[in-house]
Amino acid sequence: MASKSENVRARIVKAYELDEIEKLIKDAKVAHVMLTEAPPLVDEASVLTRLSALTLRSSDGISCSCCGVGPFTTRAQQTAHYKHHWHTHNLKRKLFGRKPISLGEYTARQDESSNVSASDSEADDNPDAAATELFALATRHCKAFYSNPKGQVFCIYRCLLHHRKEEMSHDGEGHFWARRLKELLSPGFGRWAVLMVSGGHFAGCIFTGGSDAIHKTLHSYTTRRGQGMAQATRDQSGNAPKSAGASLRRYNQEQFLAHVQNILVSWNDDLKGCSLVFYRAVGTINQAALFGKPSPLRKEDPRVRQLPFPTRRPSFKEVKRVFQTLASIEVYESLQDFQKGLLALNGGKIPSKTNSDTNVKKSQKQPAKTFDRAKSRERAPRELPTQVTSSEDEGPCYIDSETPAGWIKTLSEQSSNGIITNSRKDLLNDCVITSCVDSESEKEVVEKKEEPRRKKKVNKKPDDKAVPVKKGPPKIPANVKNMWRSIMDKDSTSLDTIIEAFEGDIQAACNTQDPIDGNTALHKAAIAAKPEMVTQILSAGGDPCIKNHDLQTPYAATPHADTRVAFRMFQAQHPDKYNYSKSQIPGPVTPEQLEQEKERKAQQKKAKRQREKERQVDKMKGNAFLLLSDDQKRKVPEQEQRCFLCGSQLPKVPFEYDGCKFCQIPCLHSHRKIRPLNKSVE
Amino acid sequence: MAVRVQFENNNEVGVFSKLTNSYCLVAIGGSENFYSVFEAELSETIPVVHVSIAGCRIIGRMTVGNKNGLLVPSSTTDTELQHIRNSLPDAVKVQRVEERLSALGNVIACNDYVALVHPDLDRDTEEILADTLDVEVFRQTVAGNVLVGSYAALSNRGGLVHPKTTIQDQDELSSLLQVPLVAGTVNRGSDVIAAGMVVNDWCAFCGLDTTSTEISVIESVFKLNDAKPTAITSTMRASLIDSMS
Repeated sequence: MASKSENVRARIVKAYELDEIEKLIKDAKVAHVMLTEAPPLVDEASVLTRLSALTLRSSDGISCSCCGVGPFTTRAQQTAHYKHHWHTHNLKRKLFGRKPISLGEYTARQDESSNVSASDSEADDNPDAAATELFALATRHCKAFYSNPKGQVFCIYRCLLHHRKEEMSHDGEGHFWARRLKELLSPGFGRWAVLMVSGGHFAGCIFTGGSDAIHKTLHSYTTRRGQGMAQATRDQSGNAPKSAGASLRRYNQEQFLAHVQNILVSWNDDLKGCSLVFYRAVGTINQAALFGKPSPLRKEDPRVRQLPFPTRRPSFKEVKRVFQTLASIEVYESLQDFQKGLLALNGGKIPSKTNSDTNVKKSQKQPAKTFDRAKSRERAPRELPTQVTSSEDEGPCYIDSETPAGWIKTLSEQSSNGIITNSRKDLLNDCVITSCVDSESEKEVVEKKEEPRRKKKVNKKPDDKAVPVKKGPPKIPANVKNMWRSIMDKDSTSLDTIIEAFEGDIQAACNTQDPIDGNTALHKAAIAAKPEMVTQILSAGGDPCIKNHDLQTPYAATPHADTRVAFRMFQAQHPDKYNYSKSQIPGPVTPEQLEQEKERKAQQKKAKRQREKERQVDKMKGNAFLLLSDDQKRKVPEQEQRCFLCGSQLPKVPFEYDGCKFCQIPCLHSHRKIRPLNKSVE
Repeated sequence: MAVRVQFENNNEVGVFSKLTNSYCLVAIGGSENFYSVFEAELSETIPVVHVSIAGCRIIGRMTVGNKNGLLVPSSTTDTELQHIRNSLPDAVKVQRVEERLSALGNVIACNDYVALVHPDLDRDTEEILADTLDVEVFRQTVAGNVLVGSYAALSNRGGLVHPKTTIQDQDELSSLLQVPLVAGTVNRGSDVIAAGMVVNDWCAFCGLDTTSTEISVIESVFKLNDAKPTAITSTMRASLIDSMS
């Protein structure tokens, strides 16, 4: 205990040092904060006696116990007092554990500060506040606090004294606590067992008089290293994995369980001799290992108690530490020391306090030298490897026309291998545009690079390749332009004259794409909704599969139904002329089929109109029926009867009550709900 | 008559209902069992109304009321308030209050004449309370608890308070309220009395866990058992009338 003198340190006495203990606990009393009041007891007899004895004494000596005023002589006096701010103030003081103040004192304070509620915090109440805090700490603490006639205060883990679920007798004077404390000295009490199971680790030890008698540790691989959590837990969450690792861990888990239980069975006699058995086993899987079928331990056994503090992975060292911690009793020489120590400890100002804790620190340091290979380690910070390994790579990279062509070549090769970043690629493209005039060799490099990308993006016919696309603004022959113009012209309906008089390759002209929107002549005709022209261009060789910049084929681009029919009819006439599968034309159609389709549609329309008419008639009949009263409805001939509530047609076997008929159960229900009201009105 | 009832497997029936001498509010539940128990007992005398407060079902803890009126917290929506106004008798005043302690049922315990309130309740709320419910308001604690509404169940004939209330406190409170008080529990030892039961002058509903001893205490302190007249009833009544006149 030779560290930091200013903090109050406790002396540690071990529970197995019987002489020390005997001196310590002589005539020890439990701290009064540990004592709770008697539990509420409500028995009928006492209540009844109280009830019968109770008479209302409105004016004979009832006083306000909170303010210490009274007895009141009249009811008015009493109510006046209870409504007074002074009473409210005293009520609040009482809640904070302070003494009530007199009326004079209250008015004096009111004069000082006119606000009623502002007078809550007062300097003279500081010791009280500390006491309340102490009380709150003590009642929730995992240790029990005692004092002895020498003025010493000592604390001891509650789990040594009683089981967590044990009913503590509330005799008000702490006899229970004193008795339990004396049991520390009883012969054979010093034999404890500590068992810990967690994540495939088991550590168990039986201690006699402060030293370990038997111990055993065990480890098997049952938890998933990468993802965490035990394999069994993972399996429980459904969708159990079937990997080799998973089945290995499952098998290990079973073996582990059996092994731990075997150990416990072999320790049976030793465990029976233990006065206390402490365990740490979180979760059903771990608890099954300790308290499963063959194991001699039972969870309900009052000797079997849980460890009241967090522990590390089960190991022999950890078990010993746990034992030392449990056995240590902190002794403070005076009440003041204790209060300071406890408050400081709970305020987190002193990180470690007990002797055993310093032991822990040592044990923590030791494993730092030897690596624990079972545990994942923190990754050492390493620099990321640079991807482009060139000496010029440091600093910003500028490519201009003076950059050697060979250098650009290597770069572009890298980019095609996919090891160059996107920004670099952009840079390269820019370079291509600026330097395209410079040298022929560079251009070749660029085209090599550009080709594969373009191929993926746009589906082109092989003959399209001949048409230069990217080489500046492509030249459109004058006759093609002329053709387009006449297609766009509103008045013209036929291209016959143009096609006949066309000079040169009419097919190529038809398939030339407008650089602005990518439309061919066929697109233009389709968009202009000219079915005749579409047929003409198709027969002249206009490919219906070419897509414009909106990725539409001519068929998809047209807004006009007749034009679409023109496409389909052309396909029926010339089924082999083009590969229609990419033209998005839904299929060939002949004029006969068209005729049939039309007829069918007309019939459908007619039938629909007929049905609508019938429905309307039906509705009118229903409305007329609904206007009748229930009695009149019943008199209507059966064939003409309708649902009494909604007026719709009745099914073959209607739902019925009281002669009222309904189409559905909900109708009947709602009718039934309305009826009693009507009746009561009548 | 004290009736045992459960709200969707929950014994805290005082949380999900509010019972007074002129109306009964019941939370909207998944099943109508809870509602029908109330309706079976009460529908001949007072309206039993399905209600939610700010979309929540804990209406018993959010509202406070007696035969004269009902106070609802500011979180109550307009439609809910309108529904309550429509469903309750015209004589019952319904009022929305802006109060920091919004669980009015927890901070106010009242019968038709007197109300005990949390010591920190707003003065404005106190005034509204006195006007709407027509009660005399006292700031008090019950067994050192400020949540008087949770730890005390009152009717005009008696009251049940937190089991740790001292005899002296009980005497004091009962002289203040002018009704006999008894310390007790509901729901097999629960000390949150008002959450575990609702009571008016002739009927009480408590959780299904309530033991027969607790039931008999409830019946005798609230004088629900008409077949068992005691000397106190007459004396009590006299003094009550005395205090009201």
